[in-house]
Amino acid sequence: MVYDPSQRKMHCPYCDGIETHAREEGKGMEVCLNCGASIDAGDYRSAVKCEYCGNYNIFEKRVEEEYKPRFILPFRIGKKEAVDKIAKSCGARLFMPESFLSEASVKEMEGSYVPFWLYDMTADVSFRGTGTRVRVWRAGNTEYTETSWYQICREMEVDFQKLPVDASWQMDDGVMDLMEPYQYQELVDFEPEYMSGFLAEVYNQTAQELSPRAEQKAGKNAKVFLRESMNQYTTLMPQQEEILMKNRRESFALLPVWWYRYRYREKDYDFFVNGQTGKVIGKAPISMPRVFAYSGMFFGCMTAILLLIRELLEVL
Amino acid sequence: MNWKKLLYYFRYYFIVIVILAVVLFFVGFKKDTVYVRTNQECLTAERVFDYAGVLDEEEEKKLRELIAQKELETGCDIVLVTLNESLEEYAKGYEDQLGYIDPSRYVMVFADNFYDENNFGFDKVHGDGVLLLDNWYREADGKVYSWMSTCGRAESAFSSGMIDNLLNDALEYVDSDPYGAYTDYVNLFARRMPPEKVPIPAWAMVGVAGMFTFFYVVAHLSQNRGRRTVNEKTYLAAGGRPRMKCKEDVFLRKSVSSRKIETDSGRSSGGGGGGGHHISSGGVSHGGGGHSR
Repeated sequence: MVYDPSQRKMHCPYCDGIETHAREEGKGMEVCLNCGASIDAGDYRSAVKCEYCGNYNIFEKRVEEEYKPRFILPFRIGKKEAVDKIAKSCGARLFMPESFLSEASVKEMEGSYVPFWLYDMTADVSFRGTGTRVRVWRAGNTEYTETSWYQICREMEVDFQKLPVDASWQMDDGVMDLMEPYQYQELVDFEPEYMSGFLAEVYNQTAQELSPRAEQKAGKNAKVFLRESMNQYTTLMPQQEEILMKNRRESFALLPVWWYRYRYREKDYDFFVNGQTGKVIGKAPISMPRVFAYSGMFFGCMTAILLLIRELLEVL
Repeated sequence: MNWKKLLYYFRYYFIVIVILAVVLFFVGFKKDTVYVRTNQECLTAERVFDYAGVLDEEEEKKLRELIAQKELETGCDIVLVTLNESLEEYAKGYEDQLGYIDPSRYVMVFADNFYDENNFGFDKVHGDGVLLLDNWYREADGKVYSWMSTCGRAESAFSSGMIDNLLNDALEYVDSDPYGAYTDYVNLFARRMPPEKVPIPAWAMVGVAGMFTFFYVVAHLSQNRGRRTVNEKTYLAAGGRPRMKCKEDVFLRKSVSSRKIETDSGRSSGGGGGGGHHISSGGVSHGGGGHSR
């Protein structure tokens, strides 16, 4: 609390409270355990960095009971290493703005535990249809084509384990799919201590809500196995093809992601680094002045070199 | 824009430019093409042989000067011979070697032999050069014949059609103005004789540099957000292989069709046009073409 001369009252600069030490805790509002300032935890944040004192707060009631993750995959890549990974992946990107990955812009980079549902399920695949095999050979100046028709039947089961689907509205599904795979052998039972120093969320959608996406991913993979089992056929004409999912089980897990947001010309460019494997996903912005400067210089150099070579060829 | 970084990035390009410039400086910039005569075995320095006497002294002198200048520009010996005598007897003497020779080719035999016997050729004996024989004598068939004999680079460069055109253009008014006609012959030959090395035009180099720049920009602009690094096996359960419960492939029927394969009978491709190539009695390859009036 400090004295505010304009209001002539004691005022808390963190929670805007006037002459009171009471902490107002409304929906999504929490207080920093270090400085007491109000923190907007939103609907889903379970670990938040205080914007005033920089302390990372873990909200215990958001990591308990139905929100308690079954697993957590601890960060293996530190911030510096994550920045290096981004820099390495952008090494050849000549037309990036110079301030990209500058110390000032990297300061805001945060490590975040993203909520994932890991699904176990079995795909029950069945196929009935007709297939053809074509054989072509030549005898003299005649080409023969032999076509054989077969009735095909396939029934198979494919077991999938820990198929990940991100449960965060904030994260783009396509980006999170590209972050895969995670090495699950390093998964550990959840302990809140692993969250210290990082941001985190509880799941934004339930396992039931996200199961269609998981089943779609599993179905796509199962279909590949089905096609592989019939790859000796030139053409396939399905009469009945079905993939049903059964024995579905899911567990809630937090997986590590570094998130670097770079703002350039009123547009945000996001880079994500897998906090375990270091895989980088993201597109760097293009600086048009650099495009013109580098391509202009390249054109000038190439023209000079080619004209000099031409002149030398003339002389020699 | 950090210009220091930009210049550092292009340092190797600058080094290459400097090296090329230094090499060019020492080798010397190309001047206008002037050929240097290398055939020192030519039996005569004369180029204008006016045996028909159709040119006066002054005209001969001017032609010699013109030829001397054009020889250095084209790298070819340029010879003019005028005659006023029947070449029938002369040519018939070579029929044993060359086979039947019709009246239009009497001049060819003389022109080729004249070139060979004098060891003409700018670069070497029987090398690059051209000889125009204009025989003012009306042969038994009532025609006056001329022949332009080419050798070396001139033989390769001038096709029969080009020789016909040149002679038609040059000799159109030869009867009334022989000096003007022979001057035209020298000038037209020099103009139409291509240089030994055709220089690559500068705009082509700029175009190539532009093309390289396009690829350079495209290569640096293209970037993937990230590649997919999982496949259908990534999330298979431990020891995972699909469990096949039913696998049946029942043969139903078979059909065979056939078709004749069209064979390509092979088409011949056309060759390059010649310039009336033949071997002279001296065994030297010549091109050439005639003209009559």
